[in-house]
Amino acid sequence: MSGMGPSLETDVKLEETEPRRVVQLFEEFATENGVPAPLVMKFELALDEVLTNVVSYAFPENAPENAEDPAVKVTMRVDGDWVKVRVQDNGPAFDPLHDAQEPDVTLDAEDRPIGGLGIFLARSFVHTLTYERVDGCNRLTLAQPLETPPENASP
Amino acid sequence: MNVTTTQSENAAVAAVSGRVDSANAKDFDQELSDIIDAGASRLVVDCGDLSYISSAGLRALLVAIKKTNAAGGGVAMCRVPAHIREVLDVSGFTRLTKVFDTAEEAQASLA
Repeated sequence: MSGMGPSLETDVKLEETEPRRVVQLFEEFATENGVPAPLVMKFELALDEVLTNVVSYAFPENAPENAEDPAVKVTMRVDGDWVKVRVQDNGPAFDPLHDAQEPDVTLDAEDRPIGGLGIFLARSFVHTLTYERVDGCNRLTLAQPLETPPENASP
Repeated sequence: MNVTTTQSENAAVAAVSGRVDSANAKDFDQELSDIIDAGASRLVVDCGDLSYISSAGLRALLVAIKKTNAAGGGVAMCRVPAHIREVLDVSGFTRLTKVFDTAEEAQASLA
């Protein structure tokens, strides 16, 4: 990730306990670097959902034999007025922001399908969530300004 | 994550504490299912000591809501911290289950 400011990188294994480890690493990193606690909590949920998605679905079990070994890398950075985290994997091209179905959160319990809320929550709890396909990798970037938006600022 | 269950006159109260995320949502789902399968169709989920819930935990909660509704009961929640309340609001769960300040009020709502 370009830019100045403190950063931290970690490789992620395809294990169901990994999102929690990375999220806790993020919590320490963000807190040490002055990200306000309410923003850390929201960002944490968004990052958890994105990572859970990648760890669970980025690498299909029936991958071709010539496929590269799975590699997932998370880079976090506090850069000026923003906190940014990039989640990159070398799995098949998949844009969860475009390809995943938007859930209808107004349905009754009987009609609500089980699941499908992860990316919706990620989008709701972070300012910007973007997808790019770069050099054979999926790259999801979460970004949050450190300043409180003007509409929520105290008078 | 830990779930402590107490049975009262008209509902079971499941007090969940700690983090519920994709790593342990299966356990949360199992705990709630066990309570419902044991005959409780009215369930109060006490979130007073719940620090975190992700969509994986909401999924387990939705399963419990569907099961108890189908059995003629339901799920009510209580003592929900503000940051978790926000997750419930955004995901539409406050339409599916009522949220109360105390376990007593939540139990009374299911009676």
